[in-house]
Amino acid sequence: MLEMLFAPQFWVDVFKIIVIDLLLSGDNAVVIALACRNLPLEQRKQGILYGVGGAIVLRIVLTFFAVSLLALPYLKLIGAILLLWIGVKLILPEDDEGGEGIKAEGNLWGAVKTIIVADFVMSLDNVLGVAGAAHGSPLLLIFGLLVSIPLIAWSSQLVLKLIDRFSWVMYAGGALLGYVAGEMLVGEDLFKPLLESQHYLHGLLPVICALAVLIIAKLLSLRAVESQPAIDLVDEHISAGQHNKNEGK
Amino acid sequence: MKILIPVDGSANSLRAVEYAIGLASALREPPTFLLLNVQWNVAAANVKLFINQDTINDYYREQGNEALRAARGLLDAANLAYQYHISIGTPAQAVVQYAEEQAVNLIVMGRQGESRLQSLLLGSVGGKVAQLASMPVMLIN
Repeated sequence: MLEMLFAPQFWVDVFKIIVIDLLLSGDNAVVIALACRNLPLEQRKQGILYGVGGAIVLRIVLTFFAVSLLALPYLKLIGAILLLWIGVKLILPEDDEGGEGIKAEGNLWGAVKTIIVADFVMSLDNVLGVAGAAHGSPLLLIFGLLVSIPLIAWSSQLVLKLIDRFSWVMYAGGALLGYVAGEMLVGEDLFKPLLESQHYLHGLLPVICALAVLIIAKLLSLRAVESQPAIDLVDEHISAGQHNKNEGK
Repeated sequence: MKILIPVDGSANSLRAVEYAIGLASALREPPTFLLLNVQWNVAAANVKLFINQDTINDYYREQGNEALRAARGLLDAANLAYQYHISIGTPAQAVVQYAEEQAVNLIVMGRQGESRLQSLLLGSVGGKVAQLASMPVMLIN
């Protein structure tokens, strides 16, 4: 197992997993903080602890579940298509519509439930990406999980700051997911006969998939709107000497 | 004269507030101060599926008020009138947007917010505002 540490491919995979973890770390930290807001103060810490713990356990179970599913015939094909879509979604600007969320629950178990359900939905993309990039190596899988765990607990602003500074990060991330999807297609048993006769497809398919993500995202974003303006939340006027009245507001 | 002071609660942003207060005493007419805190839009699409918008806004309001508290304290102590504002978005763009809306004459802000490493890697909000804004921007060290 040690000799793989010296193989360049191993480090390429490590890099891929870190990028996927970072970009698809989800908004778990925000959900955890928000879901526990309405709890009484003494329960808040507990809620956060259970929430983070549950989210981590869930992430581990989901990852191993995804890996064993991907070993089944045809499912690599489905996984690859999903990954392509996740890559496109990453590049597209988020539409900020959003349904009406559930009101934050006032009790501990309600809050923990919200966190776990949200984590289940939001970590699927991450889990699939990491499972794909690890292509079956347990070492890489565990590494991917270890990287994602601190990201569950904090750093909700990190990705936003990265995109703000380097707007190409999202394109690179989308292309990377496309590339991983292509690698997954190469591994699909269904295409085995084809790939054995056309050997060059091994290298070409991932590149085609990466380009496909970029092109689809480009076509779809043509009708998307320009970047959203900032939203005004609070606007208060304080005249001189008025501040005593506003205490505790 | 309208002076906008974007603050994030950091020591640097407070120095900018202090500087602006000092500036006020040198002006013939007392300026109008506008304090602004921008909250990153961390709770976008996905989070909204699970968390109610009111809860999200409460969260931003709490974070924003916390970031504004020390700066407001300085202006209160100096017995000056001011407006304060919290908006949600990307800091530099949101600062410039608000500055244009309010037609401020000057923006006074810290050269760099939170940490040196971060502004080195990710660029400072102050620098970006200076680049984007149409009015003069004063960066305080």
